Amino acid sequence: MTSVSTSAFYERSNQDLATLRARATALQGSISSGQRLTTGSDDPVAAARMRTLSRADSTAAIDQAVAARATSDLTLTDQALSAFADSLIRVQELATQAANGVLTASQRAGIATEIEQIHGELIRLANTRDGAGHALFGGNTSGAAYTIGAGGVPTYAGTATASDLPLGDGQSVTRGLTGPEFLNFNINGSPTDLFAVVKTLADALRGAVADPAQAARDAMGSLDTGLETITTQQTVVGARLNWIDLNTERQTQMGQLRAEEEAEVGGTDIALAVSQLQQTMTVLEASQASFARLASLSLFEMLR
Amino acid sequence: MSSDLLNIAASGVRAARAGLDVTSQNIANAATEGYVRRTLRQSEVALAGGYGRVGDLSLSGVRIDGLQRNADMFRQAEVRRTGGDAARAASELNTWQNVEAALEQARVFPALTQFENALQRLATDPVDPSLRTAVLEDARTLTRTFGIAANGLDTVAAGLQFDAAAGVGQVNLFAGQLAQLNVQLARATPGSSDQVSLLDRRDALLANLSDYADISASFAADQTVTVRIGGSAGPVMVSGNSAGTLSSTTAPDGTISFALGASPVTLSSGTLAAAQQGLVMVRDTRISLDTVADALIATANGAQATGVALDGTPGQPMFSGSGAAGIALALTSGSQLATAPAGAPASSRDPANLVAMRAAFDTADISGQASGLLFQVASATQGRKLTSEALDSIASGAKLALDSQAGVNLDEEAVNLVRFQQAFQASSKAIQVASDMFDTLLAIR
Repeated sequence: MTSVSTSAFYERSNQDLATLRARATALQGSISSGQRLTTGSDDPVAAARMRTLSRADSTAAIDQAVAARATSDLTLTDQALSAFADSLIRVQELATQAANGVLTASQRAGIATEIEQIHGELIRLANTRDGAGHALFGGNTSGAAYTIGAGGVPTYAGTATASDLPLGDGQSVTRGLTGPEFLNFNINGSPTDLFAVVKTLADALRGAVADPAQAARDAMGSLDTGLETITTQQTVVGARLNWIDLNTERQTQMGQLRAEEEAEVGGTDIALAVSQLQQTMTVLEASQASFARLASLSLFEMLR
Repeated sequence: MSSDLLNIAASGVRAARAGLDVTSQNIANAATEGYVRRTLRQSEVALAGGYGRVGDLSLSGVRIDGLQRNADMFRQAEVRRTGGDAARAASELNTWQNVEAALEQARVFPALTQFENALQRLATDPVDPSLRTAVLEDARTLTRTFGIAANGLDTVAAGLQFDAAAGVGQVNLFAGQLAQLNVQLARATPGSSDQVSLLDRRDALLANLSDYADISASFAADQTVTVRIGGSAGPVMVSGNSAGTLSSTTAPDGTISFALGASPVTLSSGTLAAAQQGLVMVRDTRISLDTVADALIATANGAQATGVALDGTPGQPMFSGSGAAGIALALTSGSQLATAPAGAPASSRDPANLVAMRAAFDTADISGQASGLLFQVASATQGRKLTSEALDSIASGAKLALDSQAGVNLDEEAVNLVRFQQAFQASSKAIQVASDMFDTLLAIR
């Protein structure tokens, strides 16, 4: 017997309409939220991928903040190095003047005063603080990079190296320079530093040596070496800044790729979803219309 | 003989009247759950010819034999079996979805990412008090998300235990009703309207029972039922007028087991089976979550131990307790984070131990473990969704098949109504003919 009981007819119609309505609701939800996945079980693999991507997104945001921090530290370093170089060039000019044999002792003493001023300036520059208030040239120390000992002699108080900052994906950059890296150099095979060279020159011009003009001429070579060391280190800093730029650019590209993948994996294909919704609605309307027609078709209506 | 004709017509009127009654009963119950369409069983009454009366006509009309219930035993058994499976699958899916929601909405994974990111940000300036505090607060958030997840799982387990207890109560109630029904069925006359309505109730109770547990029913000649619980090899729950009592026992780990009297019962379908399996699954998920929490505790505390805090003292454990429910933040100040390596002076900006800590987190792959747990639950939920949909469509197919066969079709009843009305009118006409014939005979003078 293929006859359908009345309750079976209503139950089947009910199920069909409910299924269609549920599908339409799901499509509408995904269109209005723009997200294909509402819970992980909608598509576990895609949800796991989305987790990884959003984790990478938030990690990349931190990486960018770190890169910005490293850029600011290195830019400060670069500016300080320029200031060092300017001061050194001025000392070179003064040394050139002092090397002239016709100057009187008082004139040389005047030059010595200016050089002593520059010496003090160099020490202050070496103790520059970074954006967070830590010693820019002190490596990992949180105190001052140079302490002033007896007789105004600065001593390096920082750590041997500056630490590396992570830039993401296993890349890193050294955050700055330590004082000795650009202030210490060798003269004729013996180690010295810029402070000592400038201090010695000032003392010599004040008459600490028999021939101040010769001492000034001798100092010229040391000052040249010092300037060379500083400009070399400035190149290093520039290279590090470039490296950060390169990494930031790569991060941006990676971010774009991730955004594309997120849209592909977890986003709604609006065109597809809308056409599917339209299709579902058409079927739903047709089902409702045919249900209304069939339900009103009762033999009791016909038998009068 | 006109008196015979009168008798025949009278029996026809009675039969047509009964047919109209049955038809209108069917129409009235067209939407009644569990109502099975009745038809009238009737048979002809005619005497066999006797000795010397071979050629005689001896017709005596029609007799009402009783009501017939158009129920197909096989389809009813199918509805019970598939209904139990569908109920188990739906309930199991519900449990998985709750577990998934408990884990996803606790947001353990994002909190873990945030904590690890805070550690990375701290590397820019390991002595910055605000960055240190940020790490500490993110760690606190993380411990709370673990607590929320553990709490969510507890709630799911408590709900399942409540469902199981309520289900056991319902099963015992239905079993008791079936035992009472057996007594009434044994007394009912076959084919009587009393018996068919009792049978409707019996079948409805069996269908209800199979939503909770897998049962196997066998029927005696007098239509009384014997019910075994836990499949055809399980213990007898209802036999004659006696019904056993199902009980559940909760183990210390939250899982439950069932027993009928002293004999253990193994259920494979129905919501009780789903609750039992769901509790095992919640326990397993809980163990996995605890594993992730314990890995976090071990990794963070291990890394803390190899470094020194801001004041140069050895690092103290970051987390205390164990498991997702027990994890708590042990550090009270951001300065206690051991970012510098052992031997570093106070206020050192050396991030070596911080780097080591982040490397340890990467090696332990705690976020990977958390993501793996989420993936496992999500894919299990997805699998259950497919199973549930399939079993649901099978069950509704079986129900539709039974409804098509046993339910009321109003068009058919309308036709029957007209047919029995015509039969009634025709039999009434026969009475009139008999009367006319009698009058004709009396008028002979």
